[in-house]
Amino acid sequence: MSLVKDATVLAEEVNVVRPVAQKRRGRRDNLAGYLFMSPWLAGFLLLTAGPMIASLYYAFTDYNLFAAPKWIGFDNFTAMFDDPRWQKSVQVTLKYVVIGTPLKLLLALGVALLLNQSRRGQGLYRAAFYAPSLIGASVSVGFVWRALFSDNAVVDKGLGSLGLNLGGWIGDPDMILYSLVALTVWQFGAPMVIFLAGLKQVPRELYEAAAVDGAGPLRRFWNITLPMISPVLFFNVLLESIHSFQIFGSAYVVSNTFCGPADATLVYTCYLYQKGFQQSQMGFASAMAWMLLLAVALVTVVLFWSQKKWVHYEEDVK
Amino acid sequence: MTTLTPELKSGANPRKRTGSLVWHVFAIAVLCVVLYPVVWVIGAAFKPGKKIVGSLDLFPADPILDNVKGLADGIAGISISTFFTNSLFYAGMAVVGVVISSSLTAYAFAKIPFRGRKLLFALMIGTLLLPYHVLLIPQYVMFQKLELINTYVPLLAGKFLATEAFFVFLMVQFMRGLPRELDEAARLDGCGHLRIYWSIVLPLCRPALITSAIFTFINAWNDFMGPLIYLNEPSKYTVSLGLMMFRDQQGISDYGGQIAMAMMALIPVIAFFMAFQRYLIDGMATSGLK
Amino acid sequence: MLKVAGASVAALGLTAAGCGGDGGSGDAGNADGPATLRFAWWGGEPRAVKIKKAIALFEKKNPKIKIKPEFTDYQAFWEKFQTQASGGNPPDVFLNSVAFLAKYDKRGVLLDLKSQVDAGNLSLKNFRGGVETAGQVSGGKQVAVPVGANTMSLVIDKKAWDKAGVEPKFGWTWDEYFTSLQTIQDKLKIAGDTGYAGVMYLYDLYLRQNGKAFFKDGKLGFAQDDLTQWWSDYYKRVKSGIVADPKKIEQVKPKSGLSAGLAGAEFTWDNFSVRYEGEGDSDYALAPIPTTDGKDTGQYLGSLMLSISTKCEAQAQAAKFIDFMVHDPEVGKVMGYDMGVLATDDQFEAYKPGAETDKAVAEANKGIAAYESDVEKAGVLGKITPHPSGADVVEAAFLRIAGDVANAKQKVPAAVKQFFSEAEAAFQA
Repeated sequence: MSLVKDATVLAEEVNVVRPVAQKRRGRRDNLAGYLFMSPWLAGFLLLTAGPMIASLYYAFTDYNLFAAPKWIGFDNFTAMFDDPRWQKSVQVTLKYVVIGTPLKLLLALGVALLLNQSRRGQGLYRAAFYAPSLIGASVSVGFVWRALFSDNAVVDKGLGSLGLNLGGWIGDPDMILYSLVALTVWQFGAPMVIFLAGLKQVPRELYEAAAVDGAGPLRRFWNITLPMISPVLFFNVLLESIHSFQIFGSAYVVSNTFCGPADATLVYTCYLYQKGFQQSQMGFASAMAWMLLLAVALVTVVLFWSQKKWVHYEEDVK
Repeated sequence: MTTLTPELKSGANPRKRTGSLVWHVFAIAVLCVVLYPVVWVIGAAFKPGKKIVGSLDLFPADPILDNVKGLADGIAGISISTFFTNSLFYAGMAVVGVVISSSLTAYAFAKIPFRGRKLLFALMIGTLLLPYHVLLIPQYVMFQKLELINTYVPLLAGKFLATEAFFVFLMVQFMRGLPRELDEAARLDGCGHLRIYWSIVLPLCRPALITSAIFTFINAWNDFMGPLIYLNEPSKYTVSLGLMMFRDQQGISDYGGQIAMAMMALIPVIAFFMAFQRYLIDGMATSGLK
Repeated sequence: MLKVAGASVAALGLTAAGCGGDGGSGDAGNADGPATLRFAWWGGEPRAVKIKKAIALFEKKNPKIKIKPEFTDYQAFWEKFQTQASGGNPPDVFLNSVAFLAKYDKRGVLLDLKSQVDAGNLSLKNFRGGVETAGQVSGGKQVAVPVGANTMSLVIDKKAWDKAGVEPKFGWTWDEYFTSLQTIQDKLKIAGDTGYAGVMYLYDLYLRQNGKAFFKDGKLGFAQDDLTQWWSDYYKRVKSGIVADPKKIEQVKPKSGLSAGLAGAEFTWDNFSVRYEGEGDSDYALAPIPTTDGKDTGQYLGSLMLSISTKCEAQAQAAKFIDFMVHDPEVGKVMGYDMGVLATDDQFEAYKPGAETDKAVAEANKGIAAYESDVEKAGVLGKITPHPSGADVVEAAFLRIAGDVANAKQKVPAAVKQFFSEAEAAFQA
C-alpha cells in the first residue's frame, strides 16, 4: 500500500536526520506519540473501528436490521452488479465527480489568488465569497436552486441570450445533474479558505528574489506559488474527490428528497441510503458502502503515490 | 516587518491605482454572480409563502415582514431562542472538541517519529472513505446501550475524540509544511513535545486551526442527521430540526416561515466567520515568521 | 468532563423514567398507574400545536401519566423510527400508516392490541365505515387504531373547469374524465391532469373497479399486462398533452402542479386537499372518482393510525392514551381534520368544520366533510385490502418508474418488468 509507504518515507526522513546515539529519545517519542494521539485512538476504537467491522460483516449477510444477519457470502455484491439502479448510481456519481471536482478546485484556487492580495475590504470580500458555503445543503438551497434553474429563470434566460436554449434544468432528467454540479462548484468556500491559508504560508522573499530575476507573474505562480502550496493543493484534491464521491445532502435537497426525476440525480450514497434506510436492506447497503470505500481508496492510493512527483513538503525542500 | 502578501502594498503610483481599480471591478463582477442566490434567499424571506416556490424574482414585489414576525411566536410552542441556544451549544462545543483533539493528534502524526505511525496514519485516512450512513446504526445501538440517547454526548463524543479525520489530516498537512528547523532547534534546547506543540507548532498553525474551527462550526450548525437521530425531546432540538417543523407533507407548508428562519440561522454562522476570518491573515504576521 | 458526566446522568434518569419505569412492572397492567410515555408523530407546526393541546387534556384527566412528545417531518420521522426501532428503542406510542403496518409487524415492533381491547383499556367501537379494519394486518391482527379516515379523491381547479364548461359528476366513467381533460386542454391550453399513473392508491381503485386490487394475499394483485395497459395509455396521454409534462410538474415542486396552474386536476387523498388553497390562487373542489361501470368507484377509507410498540412497558396506559386520542370528543374538537376526517363517530360529531380561523382551511374542511358523507351515501365504500410488508417501498417504486415512463426514459414493457422485480424484492426484504 502506498499509503503506508508514504508514511514510511516520512518516518525515515525524520530518522535519518536524527543523531544515531539518541535511542532514549526514540522511546520517549513512542510514548509521547501515543499520548498525543490518545483521543483519536480512543475515538477510532470506540466509534469507528467497531461499526466499520460490523458493516464489513453485514456486507456479506442478508440483514434487515431486525432479524439476525444471515450469511450469504458474495450475494450482495453479485446482486449489486446486476442491479440497473446501482449501475445508474455509479454512472451518475462518476459524472458528478469528474466534472464537478476540477471545476470547483479551479474556481477556489482562482478566487483564493484573487483574494491573496492586500486590497481594501479584504475581509469583506473573503466573507462574501464564502457566504454560499455557509448556507450548506439546507432547504433554502433547494428553493433557490429551483428558482434559478427553472424554465425562463435566470440561468435559462442568460444562456438563451447567448443562443443556448436549454430550458429548465430542474425538471429535466438530462440536465438536473448539471444543476447539482453547479451547486457544488458554487459552494467553493472550503477549498478556497484552505488555499488562502496555504498561500499565506509562502515566504514572501521568494517572490522578491524572483522579481529581481525578472520572472513574470505567470512564471512566479508556476515556479513558486504552485510548488509551495502543493501540500495544500494535494489536500484539497484528495478531500474534494472523497467528498464528491460521498455527495448526499445537496442531491437530497435539490432533487426534492428522492434523487429523481428518473433517477437522474441518484448519486451513490443516495441509493445506499434508500437501500439501508427506506428499504431496510442493510446488508446490501453495507456491501455498497464497502464497494465505495474500495473505489475511493484506489483513488486515494493513486493520489498518494503521485504526490511524490508533485508535492513538496518542507522536509524535502530544506 | 514583512507584509502578508506577495504583492507590494499599493502606493501613490498611478499604475498601481489603476491595477487596484481593475482588481475591485473584477472581484465585484465575480461576486455578483456568486452572491445572486444568496440575495434570492434573503429576498424570499420577505415574500409571502405562496410566492416563494418557483418565484423567479430576485426581490419581492411587495416585501412583507410577516414571515420574520411569525418567528417571534416560536414554533410549536418552542421559542426560537431555544433552538438557537441548543445549536450554539452544540456548534461551540464541537469547535472546542475538534480543535483540541485534532491538533494533538495531528502533532503526533506530523512531528513525532513514533513506532506504528505509518499504519495508524493509513487507518486514519481510511476512516475518511466510508460513508457515514453505514456507521450510523451500529453507533446508535452503542450509545443506546450506554443510555446516552437524548443527550448531546453522542453528537459531541466524536468531536472530542478526533474522529473527523478531515481536520486531523488538514492539520497534519499544515504542520508538515512548517520549517523543521524551528522544532529541531527547540528540541536541541531540551524542549519537550508538549512545549513544542503549545509554544511553537500551535501558534504557527493558527490558519489551520481557525479554518478547522470555522468548518466545524458550520458543519455542526447545519448538521441534521445527528440531532434527528439522537435528540428526542423538542426542547433539545437544534435549528436544523426546527426548520423541518415548517414542512408538512399533507397540509400547508409554511415556506415563508421556513425561509425566514433559514435566513436567521445564517446570522450566527456569518458572524462566526467574520469574527475569525481576520485571524486567517494575522496568523502568520503575529507569529513573527518570515 | 464534568458537563459530560452530568449530561449522562440526566439521560440515565430519563431512560429509567421511560414507559412505566417509576411504578415498576406491577403497574404495567393497571391503566391508571404512573407511567411516562414517549409519543412520536410526523407533521408540521399546526399538528404539533394541536397534539400538545390534546396531550394536556389527557394529562389533566390522568395526572399520573406523562406524555413526552417527539415530532419531525414525515421523511425524517421514518428514518429516525427505523434507527430507533432497530436499536430496540422505539417510541411507546407513534403515528403509523397503512403502508408500514405489515413491515413493522413482521419485524416484531407492533403490539397486538387485542389484549388491551379485551382488558377494556381500548375500544374499537364507533368507528366510521368500518375503518378500524384498516389497522389490521392480514390474518386480522389489530396492530393500529385509526385516528382519521380518508378516501382517495379527485381535486379540480374549479375556475378552470367552469371556464372550459365541463363538470364532474358521480358515476362518470374514465372515458368521460379524459374527454373533459381534452376539453380543458383545447380551451385553456393547460394540461388536464398533473400525472395520475404513478399514484399507487389510484391504480388500486381502478383495479378494484375491475375486480382486482393492488395488493392481494401479500403479493401484487394484478398481472404485468394490466400495468402495461395502464402505463401505455398514460404515456400516450402525456405525449398528447392532456396529462402534464412531467418536467414542468417536477420543476414546481414542492408545490403541486395543480396549484401552480399547470393542470386542471389531480388525484390525492381528500384530506390533503387543504394544501391547494394554501398554495394556489384558484378555487379548488373535490370531485368524484371516475368509474369503469358507471357506479363503483372502488373507494374505501384509509387512514393515519396510532400504534404501540412491543417494547413499551406501560401497555395499559399507552392503550388508554390511544383510546382517549381517538374517542374523546374534546380531543376531536381540538384536532379537527388535521390527521384526516375524524375516525370515530364520537369525535366526528363533536367537531363541526368551518370554524377554523384560517378561512381557506375552514372552507376546505367543510368540503372534505361533505365529500366523505357523499361517498358514504353513494354506498360505494368497500374495505381496504391489507398491505404486505414492503408496501412503502413498492409505492415509491411505482411512482418513480411511472416517472421514467412519462419522461420516456424507459419503454413501457421494460418499466413494467422492472417494477415487478423491485416489488418482488421489497416483499422479501
